[in-house]
Amino acid sequence: MLNVFVAGLAIGMVFAAVALMYNVMYSTSKVLSVTTGHLSMLGGVFGAYAISILHLHWSIGLLAAVLVGAAFGWITELLGVRRILAKSDEHLWLLSTLALATIVQQLIGLWWGTEPKPFPRLIAQDFNAGLLDQKFWLPIIITLLMALGLELFYKRTMYGKVFMAMSEDPFAARARGISTDQIRQMSYLLSGALGGLAGFAAGQLTFAYFALGLTLTLNGFIALAVGGLGSNIGALIGGVALGLLNAFVSHWFGGEYQQTMAVGLLLTVLLVKPEGLLGSRKLRPV
Amino acid sequence: MKCKFKKLGTVLSLSISLLATQNGFADTLKIGWLSSLTGPLSSAAIAENQGVELAVEEINKSGGILGKQIELLTRDTAGDPTKAVNFAKQLAFTDKVQFVIGPVNSGEGLATVPILASAGIPNIVIGSLDELIDPVKYPKAFRMINTNRQWISTANDYALKVLKKSKVAIIADTSGYGTSSAKSATELLDKAGIKPVYSVLVDPNKTDLSDEMNKARAAGADIVMPWSAATGLLARVLNARGDMGWSVPVVGHPALMAAQIRKLLNKPEYWDNTYAAGYMSTTYMSDGKLPAPTQALVNKVRPKLGGGEIDILFWWVALGYDAVKAIEYASKTAGSTDPAAIQKVLEGSKEFKGVYANYSWSPTEHNGFPDSNMTVNSANTFKDGSFKLAPH
Repeated sequence: MLNVFVAGLAIGMVFAAVALMYNVMYSTSKVLSVTTGHLSMLGGVFGAYAISILHLHWSIGLLAAVLVGAAFGWITELLGVRRILAKSDEHLWLLSTLALATIVQQLIGLWWGTEPKPFPRLIAQDFNAGLLDQKFWLPIIITLLMALGLELFYKRTMYGKVFMAMSEDPFAARARGISTDQIRQMSYLLSGALGGLAGFAAGQLTFAYFALGLTLTLNGFIALAVGGLGSNIGALIGGVALGLLNAFVSHWFGGEYQQTMAVGLLLTVLLVKPEGLLGSRKLRPV
Repeated sequence: MKCKFKKLGTVLSLSISLLATQNGFADTLKIGWLSSLTGPLSSAAIAENQGVELAVEEINKSGGILGKQIELLTRDTAGDPTKAVNFAKQLAFTDKVQFVIGPVNSGEGLATVPILASAGIPNIVIGSLDELIDPVKYPKAFRMINTNRQWISTANDYALKVLKKSKVAIIADTSGYGTSSAKSATELLDKAGIKPVYSVLVDPNKTDLSDEMNKARAAGADIVMPWSAATGLLARVLNARGDMGWSVPVVGHPALMAAQIRKLLNKPEYWDNTYAAGYMSTTYMSDGKLPAPTQALVNKVRPKLGGGEIDILFWWVALGYDAVKAIEYASKTAGSTDPAAIQKVLEGSKEFKGVYANYSWSPTEHNGFPDSNMTVNSANTFKDGSFKLAPH
């Protein structure tokens, strides 16, 4: 039973990392980008490419994963979000980010191949380490560090406070002289870098696989909606809840019920507490 | 004035006909090839394409079929049933092809076979799902690959009769293919008087299979039979087995032998004691040699693949090659490409000799692949696209 818990916790933390990335981008743009999971997919693929194919040190592989993630985050903002937000209040970003996600997935499929490929061992450790295997604890630790880092960033740094100000009221922030376009771009860069890091940390668990992006986008969204949009603690709780639910449903009832239960969890939370477990319901006085 | 236009029209149409004949447009035999060259499961299609193109090249060099050069119209479906449907319609109604080979994946085939049947176009089916063939509903669809049940019954026979195992654990994925295969495997075992001690469906992207393998061991399984084409899932089954130090044999889907599996294993030895349904035509015999027709095709294909070791599953190449050769055989025997005549010839074919297999079809049986060409291979013996026979 402990192995079910640890395996569920590990993949749940990957979902939580994606939910955190959603939060970073959402705070400055009010956009839920479909490319969010793909940022992590890129981290896994480029990390594996740098270490296994180019035979670079894992630290260079990590740097490559973070840089590629950040670059795609920047491209997402530039091509999928900025012009759409400038021209329309409608949710057309759903289509533009979906298009970008599809393009990057197809390009990676053509270049990297459509079969999963191995992600190298980062730390010397035998494969019979069981529940202490690095494939489980690496994503857990990295996601916790990401959440802690984001909390410190929002509370202790000037840029973090600017992110919060934009999240609260972008018009007021602009009136105070904040370059909202620049801050939004920074948030997408940051989210992309975090995505690359998360994908790199989870590579041994997920393999370096071109089709991973959409799975993470969907599960990260469920984790976010369950935990509450905008809350980093909520993202962690939502991700862990989803990972454990998937693992235990599969253990008790079989994999055929896994997706149904996951979507059922989302539906239940949306019906009972539409703002999520830790989300806040904002009421604008008129 | 009207007369002048009429004359001009006649001259123009004659010139166009003449040009078309000179350029060969009017003298080609069109074969549509629905192939998922990109996207998921592209590896099989890429290999099959080698065989298809080689056969077309050979036939065209030797004068074509019935004096016509083959015009191959390849359409990349990217494994997407919607694209496959659009391309099938385009090939049938716009390009007006005489034959269609494919699609490669059964899911796409479920959508295109009825369309091609309604257009009355002979369709060489290379998907293994049982529902793709029905001589009444799809009278011009003929299958050249084995059926899924042939894979399963071959693996079951090996597990029960050769390895003498009876406590079977079935692990399949939650895709349509996995679910249907798990059901078929259970039914076939039931006929042999065996009830699986453990049976489970798992998400094909599940990141760790140690829970399922622990349960299989706790249930007393003495053999594990995975039914999934997802190499990631199959590698995780083998990794879980290896990491827990369990020496149980694994017998199942041919994807267990895929070269990609080797790269995903934690240790190379985790591939030992793993067997999968395969084919006599791509199995090294006790003298270390392949059957002569297969070796001849290997020799032809090798230069086109760079001259080194062949790193794709060779049975796909042989299947693509045979599909075009079957069209040549049917057209030459019928003396035309009339669909009804082609159907009659194929339905009367017994032991049509190919590289992948010798095929027989009849009016009531459009599955042409013989049981006698099925066998079981050792997964870790991949060499030049073929495998060694599993221990018997």
